[in-house]
Amino acid sequence: MAGAGQTDTQLVEGNTTETDAVAAVAIGLSAVLFALAVAAMFERVSLTGTLAGVQTVTLLGGLLTALGVAVIAFGAGSRLGYVETDPDPSAGLIAGFGAAVPWVVVGGGVASQTLGLGTAGGAVGALVVGGVAFALTVLPREDLGSTLPLGSLLTLTGLVFLTGVIGPDWVWDLGWAQTASITAEFFIPVATLFSALYGGWASAKSYGGFGARGRHMGAYVLVYLNALSIVAFLFILVAYVVVQGVPGLLTGFELGLGTGPQTTILGVSVTLPVSVPFVMNGVALLNDFQGVLPAIVGTVWLVIGAVVLAVPLGVGAAVFLTEYADRGRFTQVVEVATNGLWSTPSIVFGLFGFAFLIPRFGNGKSLLSGMITLGFMLLPLVVITSREAMLSVPDEYRDASAALGVSKWQTIRSVVLPAALPGVVTGVILGVGRIAGETAPILLTMAGGTFIPGSQTVDVIGSFQFTAAPPFVANPALLEATSALPYQLFALITAGVGLGSSVSDPNAFRWATALVLLVVVLSFYAIGIATRYYFRRRLTHT
Amino acid sequence: MSENTTKQTQTESAATDSDQPLTTTAGETAERTQSEWTEYDFRGEAKMTVDDLDVYYGDDHALKGVSMEIPEQSVTALIGPSGCGKSTYLRCLNRMNDRVSSARIDGSVELGGQEIYQDGVNLVELRKRVGMVFQSPNPFPKSIRENIAYGPKKHGDLDTGLLARLLNRSDADERDELVERCLRDAALWDEVSDRLDDNALGLSGGQQQRLCIARCLSVDPEVILMDEPASALDPIATAKIEDLIDDLAEEYTVVIVTHNMQQAARISDQTAVFLTGGELVEYGDTDQVFENPHSERVEDYITGKFG
Amino acid sequence: MSSVTDAPAGRVTNALGARLRRVREFVTETESPALAIIAAMTLSLLASLVGFLVVSDLTIVPFVVFLAAAGIGWFRYQEETAYVIALMMTVSTILILGLIIVFIFRESVPVLRYESATVLGVSVPGLRMFIQPNWDAVSPPIRYSMVPMIHGTVMVTLIASAVAAPLGVSAALFISEIAPATVREVVKPGVEILAGIPSIVYGFIGFTVLGPWASDQFQTTGQGSYLFVGIVVGLMALPTVVSVAEDALSSVPESMKSGSLAMGTTDWQTMTSITLPAAFSGVSSAVLLGVGRAIGETMAATVMLRGVPRLTEPLVNVFYGQETLTSIIARNYGEADGLQMDALFVAGVILFVTVLVISVGAQYIEWRMHEKLGGEV
Repeated sequence: MAGAGQTDTQLVEGNTTETDAVAAVAIGLSAVLFALAVAAMFERVSLTGTLAGVQTVTLLGGLLTALGVAVIAFGAGSRLGYVETDPDPSAGLIAGFGAAVPWVVVGGGVASQTLGLGTAGGAVGALVVGGVAFALTVLPREDLGSTLPLGSLLTLTGLVFLTGVIGPDWVWDLGWAQTASITAEFFIPVATLFSALYGGWASAKSYGGFGARGRHMGAYVLVYLNALSIVAFLFILVAYVVVQGVPGLLTGFELGLGTGPQTTILGVSVTLPVSVPFVMNGVALLNDFQGVLPAIVGTVWLVIGAVVLAVPLGVGAAVFLTEYADRGRFTQVVEVATNGLWSTPSIVFGLFGFAFLIPRFGNGKSLLSGMITLGFMLLPLVVITSREAMLSVPDEYRDASAALGVSKWQTIRSVVLPAALPGVVTGVILGVGRIAGETAPILLTMAGGTFIPGSQTVDVIGSFQFTAAPPFVANPALLEATSALPYQLFALITAGVGLGSSVSDPNAFRWATALVLLVVVLSFYAIGIATRYYFRRRLTHT
Repeated sequence: MSENTTKQTQTESAATDSDQPLTTTAGETAERTQSEWTEYDFRGEAKMTVDDLDVYYGDDHALKGVSMEIPEQSVTALIGPSGCGKSTYLRCLNRMNDRVSSARIDGSVELGGQEIYQDGVNLVELRKRVGMVFQSPNPFPKSIRENIAYGPKKHGDLDTGLLARLLNRSDADERDELVERCLRDAALWDEVSDRLDDNALGLSGGQQQRLCIARCLSVDPEVILMDEPASALDPIATAKIEDLIDDLAEEYTVVIVTHNMQQAARISDQTAVFLTGGELVEYGDTDQVFENPHSERVEDYITGKFG
Repeated sequence: MSSVTDAPAGRVTNALGARLRRVREFVTETESPALAIIAAMTLSLLASLVGFLVVSDLTIVPFVVFLAAAGIGWFRYQEETAYVIALMMTVSTILILGLIIVFIFRESVPVLRYESATVLGVSVPGLRMFIQPNWDAVSPPIRYSMVPMIHGTVMVTLIASAVAAPLGVSAALFISEIAPATVREVVKPGVEILAGIPSIVYGFIGFTVLGPWASDQFQTTGQGSYLFVGIVVGLMALPTVVSVAEDALSSVPESMKSGSLAMGTTDWQTMTSITLPAAFSGVSSAVLLGVGRAIGETMAATVMLRGVPRLTEPLVNVFYGQETLTSIIARNYGEADGLQMDALFVAGVILFVTVLVISVGAQYIEWRMHEKLGGEV
């Protein structure tokens, strides 16, 4: 077993040492700074106030300096051999550019503003300082290169805050024709945020002992942070709308027998035991509480119309493409066309509906035009998802059916379509969620006024009638301008101050509309995702 | 039983004293229990020692209490019917099973006397020392040269990047030497020396597999694990790979999974037979296992009565 | 009869000869009553299409004929009818794209004529929309320049891409390569839901929360800035980038990744040296599609921008947001008529063509990737 002694240290690493602990503390410090920066940016932490008994800016400066010193100390300690690491000869070009960018900003800013050298001087300063930072990152061994320039940056930022060079009252007027200034309120949190990211990156590399493992650590910290931020962003966004919208939604909320409005279900008149006026009323002068019922009903009909149009067309096209057509020029053209339709901006669909549909349906905005426009938008998504679902049906199924002498269409109908159903259903539900929230296309084709009286709640089924003149069937409800939730919200935003005359609390009304819209759309998504899980579980368990 | 006890002492001394002469167990006929297979003596030192290794995938108990010593600089073949856990076992030896989130592994695997299933094991270092060749050739979509240089580059042993070239410290010469040496060792050099910059995906299946072996050699491993390396190849390419394995055993410890018993008999020094259920049923000198197995089940398997 | 059956499909494919041959085969193989039904369906559907295009009240008549023919066909000759209906549905998807092109181009013609400019003695229609920066629909000289809106769209798209591309690719790497299974089950639907939040809701939050805040922070006159519209639009394009890039990353064969890991590389090295390069085309087409989404995003921009079509001063002043190609349509369609409405259609044409080019480009890149990976196994 010669050599076992040497390989000992390599294969199995020692337990956590104090140096690892230092690097871990530095990562933690970066996390704290990141959180503080975000809080300060959204004014949850006041820059002029104090935090834990210290001026906020001073605290940020002190923490940044400490982090910077820790990062440099770790790198220097590793270079001098006090800390056991495994660095590469160089930190690499990417790290070099990463370190150069903030130093370019610092160099340019200091040269052009602090030293007053103007734009040209700023550019020179930026290049020189950035170049030095780049060289300092790339040329020394990795442990020094990936800590020294970034650590210095952190220390510099920290000292600038600590000494009050940039304090809470700092303002930099950009001197542009359309005036704009960079204020401390913006600069300090943003500078802290980026410093924290750089500090976290450098400390994570140190924690991993540099080298391949260090870079792995550094990258993972950033990737995890990014994923976490996206989830947090989603959560905050939804929570914010809910918190803002619930008061408006529940205005006049009543629970109890006989409190709700009368409604007819299957010919039986029922009084609902719950009253939520916001979703059960329209807008009327005499109403105690105003609501958005017409818009909700409009959205429902809109979605139904779009689905009725797009799903058969889309599934039919997918059947043809996967089952009948040979792969060739024709299928390629259809594929390009559907993908092109999928990425066409929604406002272009609106323009198309405006130019093509409106003149053909009574020369005015109408529910029908909106349905068809949204149907066209939904179509490519149905084609794409149905096709994917059908392609994933194994050929053995088709062969087995064909081997029994079953004709092609019967095979499709009884083998392919049922097997592809889960994928199609999921795709359609998610697609519906998407179009239900679309505003731009219905803006030009369907939408009516800002406030719709409850009496104008669209009643498609009740409006069918036969006429003597062509086209013999008429449905005035389909041909009327109708509101839908997304449009209603848009109209409420653009209506601005004038809103106050119709609604007592316009802001609550808007937020409640946004909440209802969000709930409607997200419930489609929730159902879609749940359906997918359901089908997947059923597949794996049988 | 007394004979077994003697053998055990011998093995223990073998583990401490590398000069222990080769002993064989040929002629021993008694049906032995599984735990005794670890006590088998081979000519070399144990490179890897596996002790009571269990693997579970979720509720599925894929490997049951496997213990064996893998002697160095020899070829160890793992054979058995499909689903017997031989590939699972192989992937435990360089911890590739860590990639499977549902896998749970109990027991001990030592490489050169060091436990690889313990906290603080550096997987990078482990996999450098225990290389692997997969069932179907999996060259990277890069040039032949870059395929070979990939490992050393990633470990920081070779630097031919833009920066290194600018600073005039590029290791291009070392790289080219390494590429030639590995390709020669993998018996591929003559076929590809004039097109090292071509994409490796353009090679034939057999060439791709030898390229993967060359790639594995580039980081100078101690153990090479091969998971049915010839199963996707035609007979001529298979013969080339088999010759190659024979040569490799002079320098490396080779562990090879195969479902082809003739192949195992041809190339291996010792053979382990896994049977359905994830049990190691017999492990011994290849000639002995094939000609005179202890276990009836193994005999049935080898003579083709089942499996 | 064969040429009639063939009419809609033949227009679409260029391979007329091959198609005709196949139609002839189809005709000879099919019973004549079934053929008659199919002919009736095709003719009546064509007639109703023509009727619809010329805005005829009688459109309903051929359409009812079509329904009747299809109904009879369905009960008597299901096999053939199903085939023909599926074919018609396929053709209709192309037809819709064709109609969009025809109609938005047709509407934009008058203003292109009005905005002609003379270059080297040749009058180029529409050129004046791109060589001078004034949009004035009210006081003479009436000018409909697209320059300010193109500038706005470019600014917003650049900022949005700077947000969506790195964050999106990083999140895709996380979902496809890094996240443990349980975390993935949370993050993946999360990203999908993010895609589902209606753009008007983003716009509303941007308008009520971000707008006043930004105008306060940068001490600007009034609210609305390209910077924050760009960031919001970038977040909206993020899910597109994530889901397309994730598909590309997870289509890289596992054997390649294991091969790299078995060499003793870290996961991150495997990702950057093997997985990302192998999926490079898919990832770049994901970014392209994200850019396409950002260009076409309408409502958030409309609500958050100022609605004054002019260039910012200086051009890099991202703290002021004037108007984009999308927002000018959504904002002005109401009071616009005549040339101004047509000018909005020009904005639509620019959007449509740009995004279509991006979409086709992304598909081409992906197609190349499949060719490359297809040759490997």
